[in-house]
Amino acid sequence: MLEFIVRRLFQGILVVFGVTATVFVVTRLVGDPVALMLPLSATEAQRAAFAQQIGLDQPIVTQFLRFVGDIATLDFGNSLWQRRPAIEVVFERLPNTLLLIAAGLGAAVMLSIPLGAVSALRPGGLVDRLTMSVGLLGLAMPQFWLGLVAIVIFAVTLKWLPTSGMGTAAHLVLPALTLSLTPLARFTMMVRASMIDELNKPYVKTARAKGLGLTRILRVHTLRNILVPFLSISGWELISTLSGYTVVVETVFAWPGLGLTAVQAIQRGDLFLMQAIVFVIAFLIVLIGIVLDILSKAVDPRMELN
Amino acid sequence: MKKKIRRMTAGVAMLLASTLASSPAWAQSITIAIGSEPSTLDPQLRDDGGERQVNDNIYETLMARTPTGELVPGLAAEAPKQVDATTWQFELREGVKFHNGEPFNADAVVASVARVIDPANNSEQMAYFGTIKAAEKVDDLTVNLVTTGPDPILPSRMYWMKMIAPGYSKDGDLAGAPVGTGPYKFESWNRGTDLKLVANSEYWGGEPQIDDVTYRFVTEPGTRLSGLLSGEFDVITNLLPEFTTNVPKFAAVPGLETSVFVLGTDNEVTKDPKVREALNLAIDRKAMVEGLFMGYATIAKGSHINPAAFGFNEKLEHYPYDIEKARALIKEAGAEGKPLVVVGESGRWLKDREQIEAVAGYWAETGLNVTTDIQEFSQYLDSLMGDGPRPDAIFIANSNELLDAEREMSFIYHKDGAAASNSDAEMATLIEAARLETDTAKRKALYDEIQKKGHDLNYTVPLFNLQDIYGMSERMEWQPRVDAKMMVSEMKVTE
Amino acid sequence: MAASDFTASLTPPIPATTSAPRSAISELLHDKAAAIGLAFILLIVFLALFAPLVAPYDPAAQSIMARLKPPVWMARGTWEHLLGTDNLGRDVLSRIIWGARATLTIGAVTCLLAATLGTVVGLWAGFIGGRTDSVLMRLVDIQVSFPGILLILLVVAVLGPGVWTLVAVLSVTNWMVYARLVRGIVSSTRQTPYVEAAEVIGCRPARVIFRHILPNIVSPLLTLAILEFTNIVLAEAAVSFLGFGVQPPATSWGLDVASGRDYLFIAWWLVTFPGLAIVVTVLSINLFANWLRVTTDPEEREKRFARAETAKRRRARRRVGA
Repeated sequence: MLEFIVRRLFQGILVVFGVTATVFVVTRLVGDPVALMLPLSATEAQRAAFAQQIGLDQPIVTQFLRFVGDIATLDFGNSLWQRRPAIEVVFERLPNTLLLIAAGLGAAVMLSIPLGAVSALRPGGLVDRLTMSVGLLGLAMPQFWLGLVAIVIFAVTLKWLPTSGMGTAAHLVLPALTLSLTPLARFTMMVRASMIDELNKPYVKTARAKGLGLTRILRVHTLRNILVPFLSISGWELISTLSGYTVVVETVFAWPGLGLTAVQAIQRGDLFLMQAIVFVIAFLIVLIGIVLDILSKAVDPRMELN
Repeated sequence: MKKKIRRMTAGVAMLLASTLASSPAWAQSITIAIGSEPSTLDPQLRDDGGERQVNDNIYETLMARTPTGELVPGLAAEAPKQVDATTWQFELREGVKFHNGEPFNADAVVASVARVIDPANNSEQMAYFGTIKAAEKVDDLTVNLVTTGPDPILPSRMYWMKMIAPGYSKDGDLAGAPVGTGPYKFESWNRGTDLKLVANSEYWGGEPQIDDVTYRFVTEPGTRLSGLLSGEFDVITNLLPEFTTNVPKFAAVPGLETSVFVLGTDNEVTKDPKVREALNLAIDRKAMVEGLFMGYATIAKGSHINPAAFGFNEKLEHYPYDIEKARALIKEAGAEGKPLVVVGESGRWLKDREQIEAVAGYWAETGLNVTTDIQEFSQYLDSLMGDGPRPDAIFIANSNELLDAEREMSFIYHKDGAAASNSDAEMATLIEAARLETDTAKRKALYDEIQKKGHDLNYTVPLFNLQDIYGMSERMEWQPRVDAKMMVSEMKVTE
Repeated sequence: MAASDFTASLTPPIPATTSAPRSAISELLHDKAAAIGLAFILLIVFLALFAPLVAPYDPAAQSIMARLKPPVWMARGTWEHLLGTDNLGRDVLSRIIWGARATLTIGAVTCLLAATLGTVVGLWAGFIGGRTDSVLMRLVDIQVSFPGILLILLVVAVLGPGVWTLVAVLSVTNWMVYARLVRGIVSSTRQTPYVEAAEVIGCRPARVIFRHILPNIVSPLLTLAILEFTNIVLAEAAVSFLGFGVQPPATSWGLDVASGRDYLFIAWWLVTFPGLAIVVTVLSINLFANWLRVTTDPEEREKRFARAETAKRRRARRRVGA
């Protein structure tokens, strides 16, 4: 186990290094940070001073080493837009995004298990067909569209919930539900499929023949068996949500998280802030990946690890 | 890290607190939705609309404007006196105090001026204050402002410079917790979420009626409108004209922005004055005002100068709509089928894209081969102000905060201006002369002449003076100002 | 092995050889949802291909006088604009038809690029094996952990928005799934007796790849590409909605939703129809791809057969009971 963790950590470091290299190439070699970040009215002297300040006059290797060094010390430079350290802005907005993701994915997990289980008990039945239809719709609906529709119905017409922003629990409901629909659909389908598989396995049939109650079988055996695939699919969903799918929801609902900040940073040509966001997220993704792998291993010792 | 955890706990606590926490009816609180969050609350560093919308209520300036745009004394006791060509003397209002108790006096003015023009601070507002050399204290309530050369619009400039508390600016948190002399005091700022001000009960002009105001930052106009319709907001900015019938209340006021196309007078097709005239005649501006703006815009009178600004030539008439003559002119110029590229952007100004595409449509009617190039904003800025070749026609909604023609002239008419597309040396000389002319009547005459010339030579295609429309909740009572400042002290709540 | 484990469950299993085309069609007709899905896909492809002929108007042609006209069935609607007009007086129907072209083009080009890149890497890794294999697959693992959408935004921030930027970044961030699939099939196919035999008698690698391995890859690759296609469609729509993808005056469904959003309360059709176009497209593809996946996988086929039998039996029992 320890060896596994060490290897996993090493791989994580590799990924972070890969992201570093990519960001370096994209921002320094593909684009021109000076042209991007300084106003057009900047004089040649100002441009030269700025280039020197961020080390563009150095040889490329020196630049890269300095870049890595800065990142290792969490120094991403000052946000041009807010005129304070970019990392400070990121840490300020990150909790908001995490709160939104926790609520959205939490709702998806909570709802998907009963929905999937009930559908699996009678495949092709009314509940199943209804769940599957909604699930398919959920996979097909773009979140920005769903969010707009939700605002019109629940906030403006019915006035049940606020339209945008953050503050009370009520503010969280619409963005979280909008965010949750796609994962909910995916989770439900996955729970349903694995449940059907499990229920058709000999051990369940034997247990039922022996007269064990269905709920007990479900609770003791089946649910535990689907835990591992569930853990991996929800981990995957968490990572893909974190890797940017909150951007759209945050924009639609003016939710002050990292996604909205990223959009604003781009609109203002704030490259340093953008870099900091990409890094912190990449780091989180790696971290979550490691934790999930260890967790999967702990839950299912049979799982083979290469 | 600890701070982060604290923030998270705060988030959870907020979650637990229910919506019932809204304030009781007797304390008059309102919520205003603005388009962008302030990047900082330091009033002297940025040229930032969000920052101004908040700080206009916290800070004050030596000169102020009435809601209709007339320049009047603010923190100055009276209009400044000109001592010599480069010196203006301001008498200050007595007994004014900053929110932290510091007195407002000559030292405060000197400190404010010194800070904003200090090259080390690299203030974006230097675009407004470039001519100011220094402020000198005469006595406790008298200050001399010294300019680098004759500067007739110094009083207007002082309407833009916010006065900061000298002591607090040294050891306080100007960027995060501002302290001014204005009718509202800073209360709290949850970055990303909202910002709260409370009434200053000791305000020298009398305590304002509304007790506290919360600003919410909502970028999308559609989302702002949703919030107004659902009752969350009391005032929203930039309401689309189409929605005036949907909202509980609205108010429209002539704004600072004038939309205009700047024509490249050295470009192959547009260098011919006949072509340029045709472009001006081909547009049915009346139809556009009705169709696009539901009437909430006025046709610009022959130039892009704001009608409320000093130096506006009210004798010019707007270009008529005469498509037949336009076609004939294009034919005469031999420009039929020749390419004309129209450059613009999208989403920055009210109905920018609609205006650009509508005008491009009209121009295509003249027989020119018109293409529209809607650019991403930074690319657009490069086209507008960069060193590259000038576009045939580029759209801009030009804003005039100082309400003086000088800015628009230098920007668009002067051949060295950032957004100018001509190389008319004679016009540049006239603009430079006006810049130094301290005699009001002579300066006005110069501006009239420049506008006449620009009009006759069709250097630009002026379109509309846009109106600012604000959406309001049923209980609000407010007449917006022509300078687009959102003064909460001028708002009232009826309940 | 973080990401690999998470995606593993999403990767379609290796199929057996597909049945003859005729029986496939009759099988498809049995699954009504899939049949309808395919019908819609064909319709959308047709619209995209023949947009200039089918669309009643030029999608960019505007008329300030005919702004915000509602669809034909509403009070102020006219037959001139079946689905109404937008804030510039442009015909919504025509924009949706042209939008189909943009969406399908971007999706197809991206899938093609990503699949090609992924297949080459997968073949290479699976065929050479050993050190090359582990290095390449490690590269895949690393790239899977990249924050996808954020990376797109970063590139857009640097290069400026545009269709080709979008296609390039989407391709570069989506090739890994294909590489993993192909590599899996290659290494398992190589262990089958006939490929081993072919290698033993000295067939050149190229011949082994083209004669023995590629035919086994085509069908699962196609299924995967179709499923991935929907992800690209949704990603393109989202990025264009944010204003960083397709730029005006070109059209895209995501872009149209974004520009119609400001008029939501007086012109619901501006947001509704392009949104529905996205939903219908993705839904149709999913329905069809789902059927395809099951049909090309013997294990799944067996399950489907068993389910059908159970249902039949249940119905029969119910009839007897009644």
